[in-house]
Amino acid sequence: MVTPKLFLTTWLLLCSVLGGAVATAVADDAAQKQVRRQAEQPLNNAPVWRAVRYGAEHSTQATGREAGVLIQSAGETWRQIRNGPITLYGGLLLILVPISIGLFYQWKGPLKLNGHPTGRLVQRFSYWERLIHWSVAITFVILAVTGILMLFGRYVLIPLIGHGGFAWFAQISKNVHNLVGPLFIAAVACMFVMFVRDNVWHSIDWQWLKKAPQVLSGKTHVPSGKYNAAEKGWFWGGVALLGLVVGISGLILDFPNFEQTRATMQVAHVVHGVGALIFVAASLGHIYMGTIGTEGAYAGMRTGYVDETWAKEHHELWFKEVNS
Amino acid sequence: MARMKFLCDAERCIECNACVTACKNEHEVPWGINRRRVVTINDGQVGAEKSMSVACMHCSDAPCMAVCPVDCFYKTEDGVVLHDKDLCIGCGYCFYACPFGAPQFPASNASAPGGQATDWFGARGKMDKCTFCAGGPEENGSEAEFSKYGRNRLSEGKLPLCAEMCSTKALLGGDGDVLADIYRERVTVRGKGAEVWGWGTAYGKPGQQSDTATSDK
Repeated sequence: MVTPKLFLTTWLLLCSVLGGAVATAVADDAAQKQVRRQAEQPLNNAPVWRAVRYGAEHSTQATGREAGVLIQSAGETWRQIRNGPITLYGGLLLILVPISIGLFYQWKGPLKLNGHPTGRLVQRFSYWERLIHWSVAITFVILAVTGILMLFGRYVLIPLIGHGGFAWFAQISKNVHNLVGPLFIAAVACMFVMFVRDNVWHSIDWQWLKKAPQVLSGKTHVPSGKYNAAEKGWFWGGVALLGLVVGISGLILDFPNFEQTRATMQVAHVVHGVGALIFVAASLGHIYMGTIGTEGAYAGMRTGYVDETWAKEHHELWFKEVNS
Repeated sequence: MARMKFLCDAERCIECNACVTACKNEHEVPWGINRRRVVTINDGQVGAEKSMSVACMHCSDAPCMAVCPVDCFYKTEDGVVLHDKDLCIGCGYCFYACPFGAPQFPASNASAPGGQATDWFGARGKMDKCTFCAGGPEENGSEAEFSKYGRNRLSEGKLPLCAEMCSTKALLGGDGDVLADIYRERVTVRGKGAEVWGWGTAYGKPGQQSDTATSDK
């Protein structure tokens, strides 16, 4: 009888033997080419240089990850992507989004209640929901600030406070970012479990989405459940999707203890940078709507209670459900 | 002004690892940190085996320098790429970017030159790499400089020890023009094999170099 463990061990052994055989065959092939080349054209080492150029791992007495690799070209690609588009477009995004939000606020002002507050309060968020929300929010802000420092500090802060001053900040930033990251992932996981039930997409959300411009400027009203389409979008696209993307790529970078190669970390870094910049830009919209953008929204998450009028005007279906 | 470069001649390197040992000993580099290493291609394949000694190549357009978030790298008048460990935060970006695998990160305080590492799980200490035996930003020959960066031979008018004591003179270190002349002489006598490993990556295409040696293929 074959136990699963024995099967797995056999399978892994088989894979490694086959993999080793393939690698040896490829290496043998390169070596054979070099032997033939030496015979035909002595001192022509082209096959050797070709093998080196492809970043293959060769033998070395040195210990350490990828010590047998002479040249890895992907580092230059990573540098171009990081110092190029990520820094440029990421920087533009972080400048343009707050400006647009500011202009929108100047133009439309906050979403105010149409009716008068009744003074009767409804509970919108429990103690645990608020605890989790603020855990995610605080860790997110810490990660955003420290992450932004790592990417843009060299261009923005070094001219202001000098190399020594910035290195001090950056050292703290790096350590804080690496320690808070896993806490953020844990908080996001709790948030997903706790908030997913009310974020299931319903047909009514499509109507809200179709009339989003009018809804956001307060011209029309589409009833919604506990969360409207925009909030659900933030939940699925932001918290769930970007949270997963940034979380996994972050863990790969945070724990280089598992012999992951430079190629893995370069990819993880690009994914992490792009994901995080979009996440931060999008969060500004959420923060705006949750604070100065909507009258009464901040108090809801702060105290857990909203006025009945607020509940009726913003989340009519949820209000009916709570009241029934 | 000299432009310092390393050159390794694949026809001469015999994988004796003396350059590695000389480096470790001269700078009292702790265990686990490889400022220089020897890599053998087609190891044990008769007629195809080639060895190469590699360390920081002190690139013209150094990728480490470009990606460092705290801008801790600087270039000396001789073209040597050095870094300031007091600024380094151990993020590892230079290690992602470097083509030659030069940046090293001590895993613990005990194995960090100058005792500058963090002992937390997974945290990288201050980066350490080949200095072309040119020390660091501290005063030349000072104790502080030695404990963090190793010996400053260049300030004493000496060249890197790895190259100085290479018995087959496969590894050369010094002014790029002089190295190129020596190598050209060798190639002329051999009649073939003008590739200089790593020069294209480190110092740009032949047209951009201040010498006539050809780049690797």
